[in-house]
Amino acid sequence: MNQFLNYMVPGVADGSVYALAAIGLVLTYKTSGVFNFAHGALAATGAYVFYEGYVEQGWKWPFAFLVSLLVVGVLGGLILERLATLLASAPTVTTVVATVGLLVLLQSLMTAIYGASDKKSGDFLPTNGPRVGDVTISYGEMMITGFCLGAALALFAFFGRTRMGRAMTAVVDDPNLLALQKSNPAVVRRLSWVLGSCFATISGMLLAPKLGVSVGVLVLIVIAAYGAAAVGLFENLPLTVAGAFFIGILVNYLPSQTQKTQSLFLQSMPRNVPFIVLLLVFLFVPARMLTERGVRNARRFKPPKAFSLPVTAAGLAALLGLMIAVPHVVAETDVTVYSAFVAYAIIFMSLGMLVWMSGQISLCHLGFAAIGATVSGKLMTLGFFGWLPLVGDKTVSWPVAVIIGGLVAIPFGAIVAIPAIRLAGIYVAIATFGFGILLQQAFYLAPVMFDGASLVQHPRPGEEFSVGATSKRFEPVEGTSAGLFGIDFSNEKNYYYLALSVLVVMAAIVLLVQRSRLGALLRAMADSGVALEAHGANTNVMRIIVFCLSAFMAGVGGGVLAGVTQSASGNPGGTFDYTVSLIFVAVLGFCGRRPILSPILAAFAFQVIKIYPPFDDPTMIKYRGVMFGALAIFVAVAPALNLNTLLGTRGKERALDAEGGGGGSSVRDRLDVTPVRPVTIRTVEEPVLLGSKGSGA
Amino acid sequence: MLELRNITAGYDTGTVLRDVTLTVPDNATVALLGPNGAGKTTLLRVASGMIKPYSGQILIDGVDVTGDPAFKISRKGIIHVPEGRGIFPSLSVTDNILLQCPPGDFKKGFKTATTTFPRLGERARQIARTMSGGEQQMLALSHAYVSNPHVVLLDEVSMGLAPKIVEEIFEYLTDLGKQGVAQLLVEQYVGQALKMADYVYILDRGRISFAGEPGEISEETIMNSYLGSLAS
Repeated sequence: MNQFLNYMVPGVADGSVYALAAIGLVLTYKTSGVFNFAHGALAATGAYVFYEGYVEQGWKWPFAFLVSLLVVGVLGGLILERLATLLASAPTVTTVVATVGLLVLLQSLMTAIYGASDKKSGDFLPTNGPRVGDVTISYGEMMITGFCLGAALALFAFFGRTRMGRAMTAVVDDPNLLALQKSNPAVVRRLSWVLGSCFATISGMLLAPKLGVSVGVLVLIVIAAYGAAAVGLFENLPLTVAGAFFIGILVNYLPSQTQKTQSLFLQSMPRNVPFIVLLLVFLFVPARMLTERGVRNARRFKPPKAFSLPVTAAGLAALLGLMIAVPHVVAETDVTVYSAFVAYAIIFMSLGMLVWMSGQISLCHLGFAAIGATVSGKLMTLGFFGWLPLVGDKTVSWPVAVIIGGLVAIPFGAIVAIPAIRLAGIYVAIATFGFGILLQQAFYLAPVMFDGASLVQHPRPGEEFSVGATSKRFEPVEGTSAGLFGIDFSNEKNYYYLALSVLVVMAAIVLLVQRSRLGALLRAMADSGVALEAHGANTNVMRIIVFCLSAFMAGVGGGVLAGVTQSASGNPGGTFDYTVSLIFVAVLGFCGRRPILSPILAAFAFQVIKIYPPFDDPTMIKYRGVMFGALAIFVAVAPALNLNTLLGTRGKERALDAEGGGGGSSVRDRLDVTPVRPVTIRTVEEPVLLGSKGSGA
Repeated sequence: MLELRNITAGYDTGTVLRDVTLTVPDNATVALLGPNGAGKTTLLRVASGMIKPYSGQILIDGVDVTGDPAFKISRKGIIHVPEGRGIFPSLSVTDNILLQCPPGDFKKGFKTATTTFPRLGERARQIARTMSGGEQQMLALSHAYVSNPHVVLLDEVSMGLAPKIVEEIFEYLTDLGKQGVAQLLVEQYVGQALKMADYVYILDRGRISFAGEPGEISEETIMNSYLGSLAS
């Protein structure tokens, strides 16, 4: 009993902080329909502002606490309310892009200002307290738990008892109707966002003494609150709090058990409890209990303007010509950057296909790429515990390995697609987010993938490799990978062309899918899944197919990417870190919606632009994420900003004409036209028609 | 008395109403008729402040409220029951009624709502979206009963309902009129609307094409305006 108390006490304290974060998240989602992926980043920002005041400026802690609450909680909440209002009628994918953009922005901003290493904010709450058995229950922890329970109770009563509480729940259903019923929807929304942001800020500040002020750690911990929110089905506050305590206790108790084992996988389990809880909820809770909030009012995406076939073909040919010319135009030393650019373009293309064609989103695409990279690398270097068969004394050749790497990613895509079948849009995004982090924390370290901190070798065709001893195999391996057409791929240009040819194949797949029946069905599904099902199409199968295809392409892209540096690492903050998946979503978000051009532009913005002035400036590189995030947010809210007013009268008319499909068929024109007398009027004396009907009967 | 003077209004996509003038006198029922796309719903939205007119004035008892947001206008007793189901689907029936009542007036309002619509009393704890269409419309209509309205704007409250339920709904509306509540009624059942109305306006392509008493116009003439030249 006493031993259990040892875990219980810190578990409850942790659970309280999770609960605070989760309450804020549920509160804002419930009242705005916008799931705030930046909630953790908000908490981290709160912690940094507190650190700035308390440690750097030497203020008293209550003052620093209050300042942080005002700046991040209140002011941040008001800004978020504006953002959420602008996103109110946006499709789910757009809200995900915007909030992920905000996460990227804040994370990058904090890292740029305070550096990546964590800061110590110091214990500002008392650490002494009464002893129960051999456990000290500090007054600080008691305060946290007390505050958390009090806040949860107060909110519960507020929602259940007051008019404002009801109005907060109602405002996401129909803000206009709320206005017709004497409540000001803007005030209601502001209050809920300010409350939600304050909860996030407080949770960040309370976590800081224990974990240190580090944006990566704090964001991740607050994401753990997603698990608690999932237990409450993103709606029920008491259940959310219960879930938070459950997770808090489990996270503190499990290490004592898993430390006994040797398995790295099991040892990583405690950290992953929140994500496992999250995924279990998504897999097993009946779908009807997880309905999306506020999607009823969503407007649809307008498809990008279509060009005629010759124009498209000419454009693509020009693009290809440009990309073929690249190695001969750019500086010799920059070709490697362009090779990586091509590899990234493949991954962007797979993501773009998923997002723009089927209206689903994935926040774990670099996870698929990591699977592709490790599998293909290990295939070529006999990395799989040495049991891999050799064909004619050679390892698998590069193209085969890369394709197999993509194929291995497919089942993972299918697993991720299961929530996509069962649940509505936003939950798919949350599930992929959780899956991406779970994959990184539980499996990147495993011997089948990156095997701890060691690098996975990924030789180019015909290159020598040497793999050091690993935890599963003690003898180093050396060898040469199978060649390809006798070309020397140590020449950077040749590898660029190899990568480009893979990109061309992938682009062909995308175009093929787009022009096929599947493509038409996918677009229809993105438009109205219900209508498509009424037509007799099986949308579940389509969701799986498109997720699998996208995972395959991302896996292939990962292989090509690893080949650029000839090795891949799964270190946190590295190439395949989960945050890169988020940056991908943000970058793709502002690069348009064209299936081939947009991914290439996105890859260019992500990889190439930083080597050219003025973007090669250290400050510019430092604040790269801030720019990506800001652009993603801007593009997401732009349709609601009514920018037409900036265009002047002519511009407005042109925009209207474009909307009405050209030809000046705007509503105004239609209203002023006198109805044309119908040309044919069917009357009873239409003998043929009647006759044929009669004879048919 | 609700007055709309020379209203021109519309959306981003174009102007819908042109120079529309309409009056809803106290204790009167006004029917607003017209074919699809004439601008009836837009007119009600202007009257309740959901959209701001480009030009023209909205007056409540002679006080200019043009440009006031919807929640302010609704506090002055202009109750708009919007097209579709004017309820919050994810809230319970009780919570819906609570939001319809003026702040602090819930107990009386709930009693009024449940005596007028006993069905709502039976379903008080149910989530609104799980009720039948007729019950949902009753819940929407209860807004007009619980909030001491001045003028009620009703936008096709009979839409999508079974004829039997429609009859019931019209009985409630007649009853509401007898209580001295002014109504502006947009209705697809022209005959019913004419029977109830004291005044009739016909809106055609954004302009008022007829204004007068029901006796001055036959149902046939109205049908002609609905169908254009086809029926003549």
